[in-house]
Amino acid sequence: MNRSNLYTFMYASVMVIIVAALLSLAATGLKPLQDKNEEIAKKLDILNTVGLGMEVGEADSKNVYVEAEFDKFITESFVVNAKGERVDGIDAFTINLTKENAKEVDKRTLPVYVCTHENGAQNYIFPVLGKGLWGPIWGYVALNDDFVSIAGVVFDHKGETPGLGAEINTPPFQDQFIDKKIFDSSGKFVSIQVNKIGIPVTESSVDAITGGTITSKSLEEMLYDCLSVYESFINKQK
Amino acid sequence: MFSSKNMKLLTNPLGDSNPITVQVLGICSALAVTAKLKPAFVMAISVLVVMTLSNVIISLLRKTIPNRIRIIVQLVVIATLVILVDEVLRAFVYDVSKQLSVFVGLIITNCIIMGRLEAFALANKPWDSFLDGLGNAFGYGWILIVVAFFRELLGSGTVWGYPVLDKIGLYDIGYENNGLMILSPMALIVVGIIIWIQRSRNKDLIESN
Amino acid sequence: MENLINIFVKGAFIENMILAYFLGMCSYLAVSKTVKTSMGLGFAVIFVLLITIPVNFLIENYILQEGALSWISPKLAEVDLGFLSFILFIAVIASIVQLTEMIIEKISPTLYNALGIFLPLIAVNCAILGGALFMQERAYNNIGEAISFAMGSGFGWLLAVVGLAAIREKIRYSNVPPALRGLGITFIIVGLMGIAFMSFMGIKL
Repeated sequence: MNRSNLYTFMYASVMVIIVAALLSLAATGLKPLQDKNEEIAKKLDILNTVGLGMEVGEADSKNVYVEAEFDKFITESFVVNAKGERVDGIDAFTINLTKENAKEVDKRTLPVYVCTHENGAQNYIFPVLGKGLWGPIWGYVALNDDFVSIAGVVFDHKGETPGLGAEINTPPFQDQFIDKKIFDSSGKFVSIQVNKIGIPVTESSVDAITGGTITSKSLEEMLYDCLSVYESFINKQK
Repeated sequence: MFSSKNMKLLTNPLGDSNPITVQVLGICSALAVTAKLKPAFVMAISVLVVMTLSNVIISLLRKTIPNRIRIIVQLVVIATLVILVDEVLRAFVYDVSKQLSVFVGLIITNCIIMGRLEAFALANKPWDSFLDGLGNAFGYGWILIVVAFFRELLGSGTVWGYPVLDKIGLYDIGYENNGLMILSPMALIVVGIIIWIQRSRNKDLIESN
Repeated sequence: MENLINIFVKGAFIENMILAYFLGMCSYLAVSKTVKTSMGLGFAVIFVLLITIPVNFLIENYILQEGALSWISPKLAEVDLGFLSFILFIAVIASIVQLTEMIIEKISPTLYNALGIFLPLIAVNCAILGGALFMQERAYNNIGEAISFAMGSGFGWLLAVVGLAAIREKIRYSNVPPALRGLGITFIIVGLMGIAFMSFMGIKL
């Protein structure tokens, strides 16, 4: 059917208005549920870093289980600045790391989560975020209460097809980090080196992913950049 | 309502005019998600929803759509429905939606949907279009689910995440999972085999070389 | 610079649009009967990807992302239009394809004769929308990386389509089981090509 230009134009305009209204309605209506899902995924990552929340597969309701575990073990969460001073009035959980990383170091607000185990031992958990070759990589690093050795790490990246992509989110790689030290014996911050296989492993280095040089290097950079800003905070705690 | 003509609309796409194996449409967005049954199933449902609704909507609007912007109108209708599906998935089945990632968005360019809108919904009544959409979505969905079933069973030894082969004790006698099945090229080969079986049974579909 | 080359190699070989993700299969299977037409479509895909991915990159970063609108006014920093991305991307692709077709027709009739018939096919080619969506998902840092990705994935697409066409030209002389002729054997060949391309996965960048 051929119609006048005016009709075509009106038709297109009306269509755009209806579609826009419908989509905004759906997007705002479903936003709380989506945010909740992301929050749960984040809480589960934090718990996994210190070896908790592993029975999530058997729980009747994932959300209830994760919330309960999180409230039970993550006893404190707060925000510090690069000088190691606490900043009040900001919820650690709402901080967007992408935005923080874009700021100058001394203007950043840095979240810290404290996990208290049943035996009273405490872990301090710091989020990390960096650039991989194929989009962002992120994770969490937990320190023991000596503030030198690592209690556990979790790394992840956006997944597409299984089998493709970096293997930084596999247990064999992540388990290497346990008990590694981010400070040397003289107390200098050294982060963790990710070296090619063959280079002898020290107490502050791990083996890279097989053949994944660039991904391993970006992981190393991420660890250095994101942990070094906590240095003053950590030194105050020791 | 369910005359024999209407039933044909529903059943033909399941076999002799199957969108994937006979018309070769809509393979793009689908096969990469068939490594496991669950994402394949969610994908099939999403396509079903988008396909039937867009067919009905376009069929209802068919007398009003200006011919010149017909393709754009179709794309907008499809894209809107896909966004709605994506939002719902992210709100209610977060894990699966993370696995499907960009492939939900790619339903927009799924050629089956555009193809049915152009070829059928623009010229037929809503109820017929509804059945046509339903039939084609099922024809698409069953291939997806069959492919995913074999890839998950042979590749990971599970069905819907349940370790079937482990339970019947196949590993104890030396069976190993075939890791190749998880890799994406095997999806194409499995579809190739389905086509082979289908055409051996129905000689009319055989092409010249 | 090294980073750009890595992205190109990864897009072209390791995560080939067709052989790893099956994007653009419909037109891929339809035109891969002869090498000559497949070349035409392959170049058209590179061409369109090279225009649409950078444009969509700008849209994503200056309009859609959360806080992306703050360049208009700081008050808009909280606005997140991410839910509009699908519809905007496809609209951009459709209109750019239309526009390119018109421009090419005016400027270079020879190029139009070579690419013209493929351009409408491309608007609904999953590889183009897929390129835009992957670009969004992988969050490239700057437009250079996005262009490098567009080059890589377009080149990979061309490589795959010409390779398949060459095999199909030869297979015409082979004695394929009747029920497998045509589509069936093509699917299996593409699968085998995919497995061959998987050997590039050994290159982990």
